[in-house]
Amino acid sequence: MNALESISIAIDAVRSQKLRSSLTLLSIGIGVFAIIASTSIMNTLQQAVNGQLADLGENSILIQRTPTINFGTNWAKMRKRKNITYAQAQQFRDRMTTTQLISISNESPAYTIKAGLESTNPDVSLIGIDDQYFAVNAIAIGEGRSFIESEVILNRRAAVIGTDVVKALFGQGSALGKTITIKNQEFDVIGILESRGGVLGQSQDNRVLIPITVFNRYYTSEWDASVDISVKAESKLTLESTFDEAVGVMRALRSVKPWDENNFEIDTNDAITGQFSGFSSALLIVAWISGLGALVAAGIGIMNMMLVSVRERTREIGVRKALGARKRWIVRQFLIESITLCQLGGLTGMIGGLGSSWAVTEILRGTMPSLSYVMPWGTVVFSIVICTVIGIGFGLYPAWRAATLDPIEALRYE
Amino acid sequence: MSQPIIEIANLVKRYEMGDEEVFALQGVTLTIGRNEYVALMGPSGSGKSTLMNMLGCLDTPTSGSYLFTGENVSDMDDDDLAEIRNREIGFVFQTFNLLPRATALQNVELPLVYAGMAKDQRMQRATEALKRVGLADRMDHKPNELSGGQRQRVAIARALVTSPSIILADEPTGNLDSKTGQDIMRLFGELWRGGNTVILVTHEEDVARHARRIIRLRDGRIESDEVNPHAPLA
Ligand SMILES: Nc1ncnc2c1ncn2[C@@H]1O[C@H](COP(=O)(O)OP(=O)(O)OP(=O)(O)O)[C@@H](O)[C@H]1O
Ligand SMILES: [Mg+2]
Repeated sequence: MNALESISIAIDAVRSQKLRSSLTLLSIGIGVFAIIASTSIMNTLQQAVNGQLADLGENSILIQRTPTINFGTNWAKMRKRKNITYAQAQQFRDRMTTTQLISISNESPAYTIKAGLESTNPDVSLIGIDDQYFAVNAIAIGEGRSFIESEVILNRRAAVIGTDVVKALFGQGSALGKTITIKNQEFDVIGILESRGGVLGQSQDNRVLIPITVFNRYYTSEWDASVDISVKAESKLTLESTFDEAVGVMRALRSVKPWDENNFEIDTNDAITGQFSGFSSALLIVAWISGLGALVAAGIGIMNMMLVSVRERTREIGVRKALGARKRWIVRQFLIESITLCQLGGLTGMIGGLGSSWAVTEILRGTMPSLSYVMPWGTVVFSIVICTVIGIGFGLYPAWRAATLDPIEALRYE
Repeated sequence: MSQPIIEIANLVKRYEMGDEEVFALQGVTLTIGRNEYVALMGPSGSGKSTLMNMLGCLDTPTSGSYLFTGENVSDMDDDDLAEIRNREIGFVFQTFNLLPRATALQNVELPLVYAGMAKDQRMQRATEALKRVGLADRMDHKPNELSGGQRQRVAIARALVTSPSIILADEPTGNLDSKTGQDIMRLFGELWRGGNTVILVTHEEDVARHARRIIRLRDGRIESDEVNPHAPLA
């Protein structure tokens, strides 16, 4: 009864002092919001980066028109970059000397794959690849085979599909030799990808690979016609020289003046990780510092509200003491009240933070359909804990003031 | 005289108001036994409330000794005093002092909450106490839904729910009309006849007439202490 009573008193207090309490609760809400939203959005981006890294093998270099994830660079400048055309990529491949392991691919999100009456969700990644793809990328064939060079050149309608797609279209049955349809074009299934499960909730098996020549003909539009080039150095020792050569060749092919920056993205596995962690830790630090700052400010507001509450209820405290309430009962009562206030504010911030990070994930899914929302449970628990700590930390002084009131004076208080 | 509950000797209470000193009590010596029915009288400012607060362990004396059921109260800390108030003393105030948000039943339960009693037992004891004061049908009412007399009955139920050694009432009829006041005094009489020790402060001779013993204070000293010749028979 006592704890419930204290909670309902706290809620009454919010109602009776709407403006002041809503400002205080808002401030807690903002703090929790900043912490939850930033952490959760970073989780999502991490997922995207991991997805890309999962494909890119060891000692590999990735060349793209624009980065998959933009770490704060200038979008306007990015948009002006010319596409890396398939022809340009082929020239690049031919000119490279330090390694022969070069693969050209292009990915397009959100296709529905059909087979007979069955069809998948419209979220399958369709990837156009060449015959080098499996040699360069960290991805393997589980059953069947991949394309040979002539099939790529001759626009063979063949496909290698992921296990999620197999399950969706053929259930437990075998998919090899069957026919699938992608936007009115029929493909023979010649291989099945080795299942890789998910990376942070993002499935790596929900994809279909077809020859890049076919892909270019039917499945690209102006804005995503640019291809990606994966380059695998022969060893860790040659990675640097291969990287330098790749930069040189690309600059020459894309006629970059010596004094101009690269008009393409070139990154190693490590560089992408490094960029991302630099960016994400900077953002997280800013968000957490401002979040915690807001929480401390809110704590002072809570303390003020509680002092007012103690003053307004001096007589009640006197009565409770006369009836034999020990100090710790009174302390407990006011702490429950201040914790309740903090949790109320925290809850609003949490709902806002989770909602907006979910929305951000949904927006990113437009370009990366395999992303999924990751519920940041750890941070949710952390926010509940921090709200409790603030409720206790800033409620303790008012609670102690209440507990040590002189009973006679408290009873006489008007 | 029966076995003493309260033994005070040379009790002094001094208040400091800036440079000025006020002696609310200037050496009071008094013994009260079990199942006595005492009225404290005296003019305004004579120290009645101060003495009651002292007896009820709400306040500590400046000097002098106070033995409550043989235990020295003067050297107890706040929590020990809280425990004595909870277990041994039932207060009834002039202004009722009920918690406005709580129902009659919850108000009466409160001392039992602080005694650490389990919910079921609390409910049962509180219900019994409310029946004793004739409020069985008002248990779920909040104080603002009750008349003055009913509120004071709730307060009396709250005072007796822990079966305390003494019930202390500071002008319990002060805020009631005389008819209601008489009802309340009848209730105190019943409690006394039922074995309780009752000490009450009053200005009114009519009210004091119910008590067996009348102590008169003046300027912080006992002026007279006598058996009430008009007391109704037990
Ligand atoms: N907290 C205090 N600070 C200063 N003086 C006080 C305090 N409490 C009581 N006094 C003084 O002590 C004296 C006794 O007060 P007390 O309240 O005991 O009188 P009382 O007999 O109960 O009077 P009444 O019949 O008006 O209730 C008064 O002179 C009062 O002014
Ligand atoms: Mg008085």
